[in-house]
Amino acid sequence: MNSISLGRYTPYNTFAHRLDPRNKLFLAIALMVIIFFQFKVMSTTLLLSGIYLVLFLTLMIISRVSFIELFRSLRGMWFLALFVVAVYIFIPNSSYTGTTVAFYINGYPIYWMAFYQSGYIILRLLLMLILMMILTSTTKPMDLTYGLEWYMTPLKVIHFPAHEIAMTISIALRFIPTLLDETARIMKAQSSRGVDFNHGGIFKRFKAIISLIIPLFVSAIERSEELANAMQVRGYNPKAKRTHYHILRFRLADAFAFASTFILIGGIITLFVFDQISQNGINLFEVIFKITPGF
Amino acid sequence: MPIQVNDLFYTYLPKSPIQTEALKGVSLAIDDHSYCAILGQTGSGKSTLIQTLNALLIPTKGEIHVGDFIITHKKSRNKKIKHLRKHLAIVFQFPEYQLFEETVEKDVAFGAKNFGANNEDALKKAHEALLSVGLDESYFKRSPFELSGGEKRRVAIAGILAIEPDILVLDEPTAGLDPQGANDIMSLVDEMHNHGTTIILVTHDMDLVIKYCEKVFVLNEGLLVFEGTPSELFRGDVRQFSIEIPPLFQCANKLKNKGLPIDIDSIKETTDLVMQIKKWKRNHE
Repeated sequence: MNSISLGRYTPYNTFAHRLDPRNKLFLAIALMVIIFFQFKVMSTTLLLSGIYLVLFLTLMIISRVSFIELFRSLRGMWFLALFVVAVYIFIPNSSYTGTTVAFYINGYPIYWMAFYQSGYIILRLLLMLILMMILTSTTKPMDLTYGLEWYMTPLKVIHFPAHEIAMTISIALRFIPTLLDETARIMKAQSSRGVDFNHGGIFKRFKAIISLIIPLFVSAIERSEELANAMQVRGYNPKAKRTHYHILRFRLADAFAFASTFILIGGIITLFVFDQISQNGINLFEVIFKITPGF
Repeated sequence: MPIQVNDLFYTYLPKSPIQTEALKGVSLAIDDHSYCAILGQTGSGKSTLIQTLNALLIPTKGEIHVGDFIITHKKSRNKKIKHLRKHLAIVFQFPEYQLFEETVEKDVAFGAKNFGANNEDALKKAHEALLSVGLDESYFKRSPFELSGGEKRRVAIAGILAIEPDILVLDEPTAGLDPQGANDIMSLVDEMHNHGTTIILVTHDMDLVIKYCEKVFVLNEGLLVFEGTPSELFRGDVRQFSIEIPPLFQCANKLKNKGLPIDIDSIKETTDLVMQIKKWKRNHE
């Protein structure tokens, strides 16, 4: 069951773990948005992406997210990366014309731009992945749900079922480890009956999966019925006004994290606005190092 | 098939913040055709131990010999595991959750088929197994999901019996059953033992231990802390392992202390004690 543990909450007590989940949720989304700003000058975009990468990796180390897990999740992405590169290289794109050609395959031009574009997309995916991993491995799923509920609360004015949705999500999250345990249990029971989940042809594998899925569904449905009954017996009423056992608090550390991210994002947005206004865009290399890179 | 466990270690989720050592160097030997019990509190490592026995869990360190099969942490040496599982089968706790086929007979035949029996053979074995757990022909074509809890458990156990293992491991087979159902299942297991199957029973029910088991292993926090016969166990200090001495044993022991010539080791059921008292009374008069 190791492959499913990606981004799972790890019970450390770091700076990132102690932050308010509402704050973390907001900051993660804000940072994700600025990742997608594309400047007019290629080198500026690349430079900023590099800065984000260094920043996020530092955050990863601070919040003790395991690099092994990051690599493990990247292993699942290699096919996607290959696909992106293939699409960018082999599909003709008018915006490449006039730029440097890397090489020709049977007279078909392959542009450096294609490599740059696909590499940039993969880099952005990596950045997003790191952010998500930091968020989910430093925040308990329940806390995330409470954070989400807090953001949805104003929507109650238009009869949006904020609490019901939060409850549904938190029950679903609560049952993920239970179902995983159940899966492991049933897999072991069926293995004892001679089922081989790792070898064999397609038909055998299909049969093996069936012998896992059906008992899993049966027990999940039974569990949900029991849970619904248990909730009703205890007088659960979704419309009732309720309080939380854990009260979310915005602390000094949150203010610090918010302010520093706010400054970063503010700076990037200002830069982006100037970039869009100016004729040729801003070349950060030129501004900072007084040099002009070759591309 | 004798079982030999040598210095067995098992760690869950090694090198993670939540790693737990479930077994810390367990060594034990289980003889062929014996009937033994593995006792211990929740979390003592009983379930981990039985799962390593048929290689559902691969030990972190140490070796297990089951007949000619060897299970070690070295993956290359663990071939033929599937064959091992035909010889050593486990009935898990609440086995009724593993049913999935459309009909009872198909579900029971499933294991036998996986281990190489052809359709007809498997069905024949399934029918025999079903009859032996006390489910007659009227059940064969029914869906396992419409049965009652106790019937489901019997079907699940029949599914393991149809594999015809040499060693049968049962994890709390009577949990959640009514006394009659529990009794039926235990006499079925006893019958299998009489036919030569080695039985390993994991249980909290000391009445079963005193009634059926020849040998007892007690685990505590991943270590083997006791090995011997049930009466040896109950004569010692068992409170430290949170084991309750069964009333029958207590009663017999007290009578013996008061001077009655009672052979404690031969007492397995209430009737044994009654017979001994009657015999003593006859001799006395």
